[in-house]
Amino acid sequence: MQKYSVFNLIKNAFSGHQNWEVAWKDPTPKKSYDVIIIGGGGHGLATAYYLAKEHNITNVAIIEKGWIGGGNVGRNTTIIRSNFMHDANGRFNEFSMDLWRNMSQELNFNVMFSPRGIINLAHSDAQMNVYARRGNSMRLNGIDAVLLNREEIKKIIPMADFSEDVRFPIFGGLMQPSAGTARHDAVAWGYARQADSMGVDIIQNCEVLSFDVVGGKIKGIRTSRGDIKAKKIGLCVAGSTSILAEKLNMTLPIETHLLQACVSEPVKPLLDHVVTFGAGHFYCSQSDKGEMVMGGDLDGYNSYAQRGNLPTLQHVLTEGIAMFPFLSKLKMLRTWGGIMDMSMDGSPIIDKTHIEGLYLNCGWCYGGFKSTPASGWTFAHTIAQDKVHKLNADYNLNRFSKGYLLDEKGLGTKTWIS
Amino acid sequence: MSQNFRLEKEGLINRSKKISFKFNGKSFFGYEGDTLASALIANGVHLVGRSFKYHRPRGFFGAGVDDPYALVQLIRNNESIPNVKATEQELFEGLEAKSVNCWPNVNFDIGGINNFLRIFLPAGFYYKTFMWPKSFWYKIYEPFIRKAAGFGVVSHEPDKERYEHKYEYCDLLITGSGPSGIASAYSAAKNGAKVILAEDKPRFGGSLLTSDVNIGNESGKEWADKIITELKSMPNVVVKNRAQVFGYYDHNMLVMSERLTEHLPKSDKFTPKQKLWYIRAKEVVISSGSIERPLVFGNNDTPGVLLSSAAKEYMKVYGVLVGKKPIIFTNNDSAYETAIEFKKNGIDPVVLDSRKELSSDLINEAKNLNIKIKFEHVVVNANGYRKVKSADIAKISDDKTAIGKVEKIECDCICVSGFWTPTIHLASQSGGKTKFSKEIDAFLPDKSKQNETTVGSANGIFNLQDTLNNSFEVGYNLSNKITKKENKQSTPTVVEKKSSKHDKFWCVPLPEGKKYKRFLDFQNDVSVSDIEIALKEGYRSIEHVKRYTTLGMATDQGKTSNLNGLQLVSNIENKVVPEVGHTTFRPPYTPVSIGAIVGREIGKHSKPLRKSPMHSWHENNNAVFVDAGLWLRPRYYKRGNENLFDASKREAMNVRKNVGVCDVTTLGKIDVKGPDAAEFLNRVYTNAWLKLPVGKARYGVMLREDGIVMDDGTTTRVSENHYHMTTTTAQAANVLSHLEYYLQIVWPELNVNVVSTTEQWAGAAIAGPKSRDLLQKLFPDLDCSNEGLPFMGFVETKLFGVYARIFRISFSGELAYEVNVESNNGNFMWEKIIEIGEEYKIQPYGTEALSTLRIEMGHVAGSELDGRTTPYDNSLEGLLSKKKDFIGKRSLQKEAFIASKREKIVGVVPLDKKTSIPEGSYIVRDANSKLPIPKLGHVSASCWSVEYDNPFSLAIIKDGKNMIGQKLFALSPLKNKSIPVEIVSSHYVDPKGERVRS
Amino acid sequence: MLYIKCPYCGIRAQTEFAYGGDATVKRPELNKEITDKEWDEFVYLRKSLRGKHLEFWHHISGCRQWFKVQRDTTTHEIFKTLKPHEEL
Repeated sequence: MQKYSVFNLIKNAFSGHQNWEVAWKDPTPKKSYDVIIIGGGGHGLATAYYLAKEHNITNVAIIEKGWIGGGNVGRNTTIIRSNFMHDANGRFNEFSMDLWRNMSQELNFNVMFSPRGIINLAHSDAQMNVYARRGNSMRLNGIDAVLLNREEIKKIIPMADFSEDVRFPIFGGLMQPSAGTARHDAVAWGYARQADSMGVDIIQNCEVLSFDVVGGKIKGIRTSRGDIKAKKIGLCVAGSTSILAEKLNMTLPIETHLLQACVSEPVKPLLDHVVTFGAGHFYCSQSDKGEMVMGGDLDGYNSYAQRGNLPTLQHVLTEGIAMFPFLSKLKMLRTWGGIMDMSMDGSPIIDKTHIEGLYLNCGWCYGGFKSTPASGWTFAHTIAQDKVHKLNADYNLNRFSKGYLLDEKGLGTKTWIS
Repeated sequence: MSQNFRLEKEGLINRSKKISFKFNGKSFFGYEGDTLASALIANGVHLVGRSFKYHRPRGFFGAGVDDPYALVQLIRNNESIPNVKATEQELFEGLEAKSVNCWPNVNFDIGGINNFLRIFLPAGFYYKTFMWPKSFWYKIYEPFIRKAAGFGVVSHEPDKERYEHKYEYCDLLITGSGPSGIASAYSAAKNGAKVILAEDKPRFGGSLLTSDVNIGNESGKEWADKIITELKSMPNVVVKNRAQVFGYYDHNMLVMSERLTEHLPKSDKFTPKQKLWYIRAKEVVISSGSIERPLVFGNNDTPGVLLSSAAKEYMKVYGVLVGKKPIIFTNNDSAYETAIEFKKNGIDPVVLDSRKELSSDLINEAKNLNIKIKFEHVVVNANGYRKVKSADIAKISDDKTAIGKVEKIECDCICVSGFWTPTIHLASQSGGKTKFSKEIDAFLPDKSKQNETTVGSANGIFNLQDTLNNSFEVGYNLSNKITKKENKQSTPTVVEKKSSKHDKFWCVPLPEGKKYKRFLDFQNDVSVSDIEIALKEGYRSIEHVKRYTTLGMATDQGKTSNLNGLQLVSNIENKVVPEVGHTTFRPPYTPVSIGAIVGREIGKHSKPLRKSPMHSWHENNNAVFVDAGLWLRPRYYKRGNENLFDASKREAMNVRKNVGVCDVTTLGKIDVKGPDAAEFLNRVYTNAWLKLPVGKARYGVMLREDGIVMDDGTTTRVSENHYHMTTTTAQAANVLSHLEYYLQIVWPELNVNVVSTTEQWAGAAIAGPKSRDLLQKLFPDLDCSNEGLPFMGFVETKLFGVYARIFRISFSGELAYEVNVESNNGNFMWEKIIEIGEEYKIQPYGTEALSTLRIEMGHVAGSELDGRTTPYDNSLEGLLSKKKDFIGKRSLQKEAFIASKREKIVGVVPLDKKTSIPEGSYIVRDANSKLPIPKLGHVSASCWSVEYDNPFSLAIIKDGKNMIGQKLFALSPLKNKSIPVEIVSSHYVDPKGERVRS
Repeated sequence: MLYIKCPYCGIRAQTEFAYGGDATVKRPELNKEITDKEWDEFVYLRKSLRGKHLEFWHHISGCRQWFKVQRDTTTHEIFKTLKPHEEL
């Protein structure tokens, strides 16, 4: 594989950029594979990469209905963090952070991981206490966290509303300095390029029509590009999980909902952190292009539409102006939506299933991007070893019936209330 | 300065009104009716900014919303506004604007060095480098890139402007006032339909303002003016200019932003800058017209290269020449109108037509005017850096792949026309599919999804007579469907020039040995070679191409670049365009002000504020308030220099010693009425309710179906079939919906009704050993003895003639009563309690003291009932009926819920009896073990126990009951605290609950 | 913005309503012996259909009645609204 570097860039410049190799090939599907990963999103591509790299399993195909990276890995607000209260979530996502920190070098693809820090604003002492509980849990798990008071927050983000004309004044906030953002598309492409170079077949425009299950064992899939056999199959399809589950006669503790995001027109840098509003649901960061990247609540009813409605956006931006009054002066440039696999406790599922050789990776809600590397790593382990790793042991499917829930927000089963 | 490029007569501007303005510090003047762009061009200014990546000079490419270049920083009304389009900004007296994305100035921009390094900066170069050394990305490269990117500057200050919302309903919404829009609006309005006609620009008429046609015996513009005037006079029609319909949402909801004052020097205090219209239309007519496509050639981004339609608009609308030595470069007839217009104004253009010589009305007219036309000729390259100085032109081969000898001709502008792209955004946003038309090499709306009909050039109809015929018919048919009227207008006859067919050619091949940048996306600097690289590297889906190269992702959203990008991809990939497909059209069509989307819900009005009837009393008595959901509650009442700690301690102590009064109006209150009310409560609550007598209250806990505690509170049997339920402040709305769900859906057989009465009652909790004495004084006729009004008793009575309810319930753990009166009597009640309570040393107490009192009593509240805990965790198992079923009961058998080491609520006291334990601390066995430190549980609530005068906390920890007596640690790394503690019972004060019964 | 026909009040804007989830999920009868699986199906498991979806909505800023809506989860087209005990 061609190595990307500044020297190579210069070298290629003098040959008119005619000698770049493809980042990934476009193979026709083989008759059979050791492992098929369904879903060419961030998690699927990462899984294939770690199968090859960590477990030396390279006879692998990624089956993608559309184009790789076209789902939530290319539709999120690029936030990466491990500021969780539950130990299982904290440990998992801090492991993910470790992988993020080395990702550009490991993949030889600049994913632009930018540990600029995330600040969760608090608007009452009670909320400060809730954040203290979360922050202390992080610290005891070895994750960085600091509790900031109003004055400290004001020094970092003076553009937030510290005026008198404010409905919910800022009391302080919880900051994870090592959290940040990354270039979302680059993550998908970087994993795809490396996976491809190790022998993984990336098969796009290939829709899974049905599964071949015999005697409780998975045998293969029927696709729009023919039948493909496989010893093991991993499902990694986020918002489309329920659609494939139906083909397997499985009903899961997840529902698909729409989350919108939007960006403003680009302006010169003024916001250096990721900031979340505490008296509602709004988060904001400024991209390297200068766009303010914003998101908040789900649209609030089951949806596969990838297209959102204005009342939700209006609600989200109302909270945006409540946090950052200057946003009112900007224009909203682009909006989009992604379909989210909302689990019943807000935490993911990475597990084996009752069908031998079939593995499940879903329930990421609207937080899957930050977990991409750890999700791929643990899912690859689970598939390769046919057993869960201790990092994803708590992300099992039967935790719902047994009551071992991982509910960060305490909202219960109303998946549409975000 | 004189306006060297202003025509003598032509144009729709008001020459009697001169307007002075400043650009980059220099003073100019223009006329009323100019845009900033037209006024600058009149003054010979073509360099306005710099591009995103290479910082190349940028001028004007269009004359309106489609312009990809001309973003400026506008100073208006002492506000500095980023990213204003000079082609849209109307000129007003005293306007000031500055170029953006350049330093030190637009003429000499240091960032322009990128232009010389551009061969090293192809599509996606940043994915391939900036990776070494590792820490440099975040510390060095990224800050540098961020600074170079972005356009305008936005300050930290809040927006001073006002924005409003309006909701409207109509029969027909028509988006665009060109010929098709005017015709359909007129036809529908005449047939009795309620019509809204929206025009984005200040002037109505669309293409009729610039095209040389006659409708009936009038010019196109005269006809448009006449019809608009008539429409404005009709009561069933709303006509709006400066109004952009930017989004087509579900169920025929469209959203329009109307710019009310941006064309004026400043806004009046109560005039909004913009008004956002939510329009629910029965039918939508999309008459948004079409946008001219660029032709692609070397350095086609040089200032002075612009759309031929824009050149014509600058002449006909603004009386401005974009140049005096124009080249018109076209693949179709419409650019000949521009050439003719130049000629009519005394300027000699040269037309380069990529087609073989042919004839049509327009071409013949141009020939008759002696306009120089070079068929089968193309512009190969534009020369000049800050402005076009000359063009390299050449003959092109039949198959358009080879060019002949290059010759250089002088020019000061190049007007390009690559045919027309219908503006199908709204039609596609509605959910409708699109189809590719080979006829016009562009996408058109296919079958409509909602109630939309696309007309005119937005639907690929470029002939005016056909447009009018079709639009009149559409207007009539749609209105007829709604009004059932049959008042049909006849379509006027059009005199227009017939066009010949356009050429599919759009991109000029490079001459041998030349590596000119040929731009597709002018703002983001995406060129033909960038697309080629992306495809070479395997980014082949159109979405990959877009994301890898950033094609069409600039603020103009690819209005002029997307289709050429698709053409290129389809050429290289050897596919037809529809196979390549297009990226999704999403709202907004043009960037829309975030302030306008939000409207008036800003500042203190961002969320509603709820106040109790006693609020002003609290205010007048130095209450310091705290937000409790939407409510504002007194947190403490400040005396002298007291802080929160001192005041709440004083207030709590006074409750324990004397008597206090607390405003509990915010508690949720629900009337539960009906013959089956007891049965209903019995199902909703975990404990037994069937035998509660009239006049008695009971504490209850309700669960979600997943077994987690949802809420707690007391419910009182007011009469046989009437219960008064209270909920926590936070859960009031959820509990009501929950009850309605079960009554209406799950158990409709129960004859019960529920209604919220939260706002009907003002509540005061009177608590403390002296509360009975006070109560007796307040209600002299009532038997307030322990027998007369026992614990959990309830009476209805009068408070000095005012109807009142007394509940003997207690949250503080003291002897206590809660008095409710109708809300409008709340203040009366409160003042009476304070007045009469004086002799018992009454003090009002706030939520902080309330918290202290409940914590040291071990009563659970929101910090324990946090949506994750079961009744067992909160030691509420005594309230779980074994005999009956209730909501959530089945979940309580879950393995995790009954696990022996499950977390449970306990009390925590610091060993030194001095150090307060911060809430959110964790209880651990060994404070010094290495990370990650195993946690036993967390501290949910802390207070200073006024009973024992030392800190006390509640915690929920593993195997809680068996931990009592153990010496552990409370850790709060955030506050750098490690506190040795002892675990005690959660019932720290009065564990047997004797006081409440005393 | 959806336009929803409340069976009691008529057609109203989405902002008056709250969503209530899958309406095909039936709560098990009280006091009935059921398996863990049956209970989990009620509490946690959802088909989350793409296409026609029968769901509850609650007219919270209106008549406060719960009702059923049959809606396409891909296009948001609403085919029918029903009172809670009416069947399709």
